Amino acid sequence: MTDHTLTDRQPTDASRGYWQRVARDGDKMGFWFILPTFLLLLFIVIFPLFMQLYLSVTWWTPLEGIPWYSAWEVFNWGENYWFLATDPRFWGALWRTALIMIVAVPAQFLLGMALAYLFIDTFPGRKIFYSILLTPMMIVPAVVGLMFFLLFQGTGPVNAHLGLPAEFSWLTDVNRAMISVIIADIWQWTPLMFLILLAGMLGVPSDQLLAARLLGGSNWQNFVKIILPRMKTVIIIALVLRAVECFKIFDLVYIMTKGGPGVQTETISVFLYKQTFGELEWSYVAAIGLTILIVLSVIAAKGLAYMARKQG
Amino acid sequence: MKPSPGALALKYLFVLLACAVVLYPLLWMVTMAFKPYPEWTTVAGLTWLPKEPTWQNFEFIFYGQAEGLVVSLDRTITGPLVASLVTSICGTLLAVVCGTLSSYAVVRFGMAQSLPLSVLQLRLFPPLAVMIPVMVMWAFIGAVDTWWGLSLIYGIVTLPFAFWLMKTFFEEVPVEIEDAARVSGCSYWRVFYRITLPIVKPGLATCALFVFILNWSDYLLALLLTQKEWVTLPVYMATLTSAMGGQMYGMKAALGVIAAIPPVVFGLMIQKHLVRGLTFGALKQ
Amino acid sequence: MSSIQINNVTKRFGDFTAVRDLSIDIEEGEFVALLGPSGCGKTTTMNMIAGLEEPSEGEILFDGKDLSSLRIQDRNIGFVFQNYAIFTHLSVFKNLSYGLEVKKVPKPEIERRVQAMADRMSISHRLDQPASSLSVNEMQKLAIGRSAIVEPRIFLLDEPLSNLDAGFRAYMRAELKVLQHEFGQTMIYVTHDQIEAMSLADKIAIIDQGKLMQYGAPLDIYNDPQNRFVANFVGSPRMNLVDGELREERGALHLMLHGGAEIPLSGKVRADFTRDGSVHGGSFGVRPQDIYFGDKRGSNDIAMHGKVEVLERVGPKRLAYLQVQDTLFLAFDDLDRLRVGDEVPFYLPSDKSLAFDMKTGRRLGGA
Repeated sequence: MTDHTLTDRQPTDASRGYWQRVARDGDKMGFWFILPTFLLLLFIVIFPLFMQLYLSVTWWTPLEGIPWYSAWEVFNWGENYWFLATDPRFWGALWRTALIMIVAVPAQFLLGMALAYLFIDTFPGRKIFYSILLTPMMIVPAVVGLMFFLLFQGTGPVNAHLGLPAEFSWLTDVNRAMISVIIADIWQWTPLMFLILLAGMLGVPSDQLLAARLLGGSNWQNFVKIILPRMKTVIIIALVLRAVECFKIFDLVYIMTKGGPGVQTETISVFLYKQTFGELEWSYVAAIGLTILIVLSVIAAKGLAYMARKQG
Repeated sequence: MKPSPGALALKYLFVLLACAVVLYPLLWMVTMAFKPYPEWTTVAGLTWLPKEPTWQNFEFIFYGQAEGLVVSLDRTITGPLVASLVTSICGTLLAVVCGTLSSYAVVRFGMAQSLPLSVLQLRLFPPLAVMIPVMVMWAFIGAVDTWWGLSLIYGIVTLPFAFWLMKTFFEEVPVEIEDAARVSGCSYWRVFYRITLPIVKPGLATCALFVFILNWSDYLLALLLTQKEWVTLPVYMATLTSAMGGQMYGMKAALGVIAAIPPVVFGLMIQKHLVRGLTFGALKQ
Repeated sequence: MSSIQINNVTKRFGDFTAVRDLSIDIEEGEFVALLGPSGCGKTTTMNMIAGLEEPSEGEILFDGKDLSSLRIQDRNIGFVFQNYAIFTHLSVFKNLSYGLEVKKVPKPEIERRVQAMADRMSISHRLDQPASSLSVNEMQKLAIGRSAIVEPRIFLLDEPLSNLDAGFRAYMRAELKVLQHEFGQTMIYVTHDQIEAMSLADKIAIIDQGKLMQYGAPLDIYNDPQNRFVANFVGSPRMNLVDGELREERGALHLMLHGGAEIPLSGKVRADFTRDGSVHGGSFGVRPQDIYFGDKRGSNDIAMHGKVEVLERVGPKRLAYLQVQDTLFLAFDDLDRLRVGDEVPFYLPSDKSLAFDMKTGRRLGGA
């Protein structure tokens, strides 16, 4: 009864549809398995994409009083996009987001790398310290925002412990608000870098490290010459992951400063949020969103192509 | 292989320093949760441990009022707590079921080979860049401020993680085992349900906990798609102010503590697999 | 190069004692093999010499000095791993130069020495290639070269030839011996293969279950095994070792074998068994090469009678399996006359046979 021939097998072909090669009727079940996800994607990705495109070339907002599908009544030939190109608030938000990324991500990376280096060899208490050091990234981001909100209050512990007066403000000062947000982000996500980089370091074959040590290499020399070169992929993964998430930063910023003072800490996400719920300029937001989508997709596609070429 | 005592001491110094930095904000929030109103700011002199520890803050958020406090809440924590629980669980169910089924189909049946990458791309974009149509749609189908509306978006947004995690777990199941079952006459469904699933049960549990953590931790989506009835814990916490009580640091801290506990507990439970989940299977511990 | 003294070293891992009271003296420039079955503690001993483990008791001295206070990277000990542990992400050149680079040797000297070593190991044509692209045999040579280039005080090799194909293994054995003389290195070689040990080493330390069974030159170990274990372990094909109880009967001493047969003892081997009055039973050992057929040669040689069960061709010779009741003796049919099923007489030369005590396995009598 079985249509399955053992002689057709290829070893470890799991990710290439093993059963699809040897049998036809597996397809049926596979189809049903894929269906729910496919429908969800259709519902959430395909359809909204068209809707977003549609709305982005109109003046439509929920205030107009017309249902969304009648947005053609306020068609505007893509004027939203023209506006976007010169909107100082948008570009300011973009710049600020980039600033956070440029400062926070490398800082987290270096700190995470340093911590991971400390944890390569075993030492008493390592497991416990490891768990403790991972905690920040498990805290609900909104709660992290709250924690640092409490910390950076004028009448809060940071000022008290640094001996600064209550008037010395962190969250409402034009320059220091940004610093506060960056510090919070570094606190929360350094453990992630630590986690990933340590996993990469431990993936280096231990007998090679031993051989290097026997040849006279000190810990540091072995680290630089043996471990680091083998971590190229891991480092890229860590940086890309974190950069992408950092670009999306919202919870921390909004809870700590609401993007303030003024727009000093207004990142892209905060800006979009305010446009959505404050100004209710939904079609504008749609246009911005679509632009971001396209730009990021192009970057991602280029990145993937680059990786594919490097793999061989 | 033993480091010199000097190097070991230096190592401990740095590790302890890092732990101190990690624990500083956490301990502050926890102690704040037990501090009465006067101790919230430096006005009366700031200390770590509450001079007069109190359950007042917790009482307040659970009962809507507490003795010694003039203010009261019009909604207690129970609503948002239930909202967080229900939407996180339902969202997790949706993501895990869809993710498991579709990743199995991709791994074993080779279907939709573009699915892994497309699903990954969902995580690439800032939510707000794509939420306008979702909000419009949700309003259109009456899903705003409902448990199922929020659960639905949660499930979709965490589907990529569930998908990739289960994909790596399925790839680790040797095909030979399923082959043997097939050769013995099992249908594809039986193989999946009776052979494969039990093997990946620990992976399934890890996946569910991981996705739950992500859903529970959400702030933005709940902010966008709920208004009153189904406000979740993070949203509730962030907006807890009153005309009289001002910012209510103590209560917020109490809420923060409550909200933070489940992800930390679950996170520690699945610590071994965190790398795998967060890097979409690219790295394993 | 250094001399090494292992003095009463014991190593325990929790409840398990891997090495028991081991004492070995290794002279400068000697090639010593640590030989024994898997799990006997030879690798643990090697690790302790390298400094990767610390003895629970006892000490290991290099030229009379205790190095345990030095970090591993400062001990200057050459180590060749069983799986080579080549730096796969580096080129062959960089692998060879690693030990020199970490010591901050100036570049021109590094170039010179790497080139010289690569030439000597016949891999200079691969210098710029990634080490991972080498064949297994070349990797072996690279591993040795990499360790040798830093001129370590001693060289430790952990079953380095076990991954090689048989033909290359014989070649590398010869190469290693040549290299050892050239470098003048003290070499310690861990193996479970007695042929390797016998052909390469100046001295062999036979270890079983953490204890030193015998330490001496290969020929001494072969001809004069100090205990039953060594007699059984060394020699190919294995020595015939049969156990039994001594029984005196009308002036004649017999060894009543557990398999039912009996060996009438005479000559030197009888004297060995009777020397110590407390011995009641023991093992009788005779090498297959020493058993002969045909006419009796020595007056004290022991006559036995057996049936040819199996004849096995081993190279140019034939091995005969002789059944005496329930005991099997192996012998070489050097006259090529036997046939399966034959009932034949055969002789055990009493001066070449060995006696071992039943209880302790200790060799009775002397060379």
